[in-house]
Amino acid sequence: MMKPILMALALSATAPVALAEAPASEASLPADATLITAKVNGMVCDFCAQAVTAMFNKDEAVEAVEVDLDNGEIRVTLKGGAAMVDDRVEELVTKSGYDLVEILRATA
Amino acid sequence: MSALKATLCLGAALGLAAAAHARPVSYPGGWTVMQRNTSTFSSLHLHYSPTFKDSIGVYGEQNWDGDWSFAGGQYNRLLKRWNAPKSQANLYFNLGAGYAETFEGNESGAAGFAGFAADWETRRWFTSYSVRGYDLGFDQDVHHTARLGVAPYIGDYGDLHTWLMVEVHNLPEADTPTTVTPLVRFFYGVQLVEIGYTPETERFMANWIIRF
Repeated sequence: MMKPILMALALSATAPVALAEAPASEASLPADATLITAKVNGMVCDFCAQAVTAMFNKDEAVEAVEVDLDNGEIRVTLKGGAAMVDDRVEELVTKSGYDLVEILRATA
Repeated sequence: MSALKATLCLGAALGLAAAAHARPVSYPGGWTVMQRNTSTFSSLHLHYSPTFKDSIGVYGEQNWDGDWSFAGGQYNRLLKRWNAPKSQANLYFNLGAGYAETFEGNESGAAGFAGFAADWETRRWFTSYSVRGYDLGFDQDVHHTARLGVAPYIGDYGDLHTWLMVEVHNLPEADTPTTVTPLVRFFYGVQLVEIGYTPETERFMANWIIRF
């Protein structure tokens, strides 16, 4: 009984931990970069945040992703000169398992 | 508003107030390892999610009450998700097929299980209920599990999250049919660890989940 418990705890101590990326804001945007803020429903825990982060990071246009669970927002910084249309944002949110409410955009 | 209403109705229907087991599906391309050690069984479930609604993997269980073991495949399906601004609710179906054997080795054969699970979660509250029926050929069991939990503080993404929970487990054929297990959940990064104690059986609970 105790052996699997100890093995699990030992593995958990050595496994990688993914933490939130550096915050994205309009003020810190690099030149030619775009900040997309997607307001979504259903994000209530870190597994939710990890899901949307992993999904957006698969897109080559994405430089960084920040998740604000308090406000239900995904803040996506695009690489300089890169673009992402609204339909793509909605696709990534939906494929992550959440519902898109609104998209806000800002450029440097 | 309709999503919130549905969420509240689901929670009321379950007769519970908060805290779900970890979700049996992940994001597309995500892998999850779930290990559970409770007063009645130990299990290991490794699954891969091709979509956020499905996962498929392997499942193994050592059942201490029934004195049997099971090994096989498991499929999980998210039947419905209700996303609200401050909450999420889910309804899942799971199906397993494989091979079961008693600890003594005197009975064995093809076996399977089917179950439903539901949860409702906010950043403060968590409730869940699940039912699973086993047909092992030499034995049939139905397990009911419910949870209620509260987070004493609300952390940001990336912080250490702590939950205080109570799990009620019912297995009518068991020596102790109903057990109540207070537990603490620690959730940090991609890992989730739960430690609890079941007074009725004088056994510890230790669960661990990692998602990658």
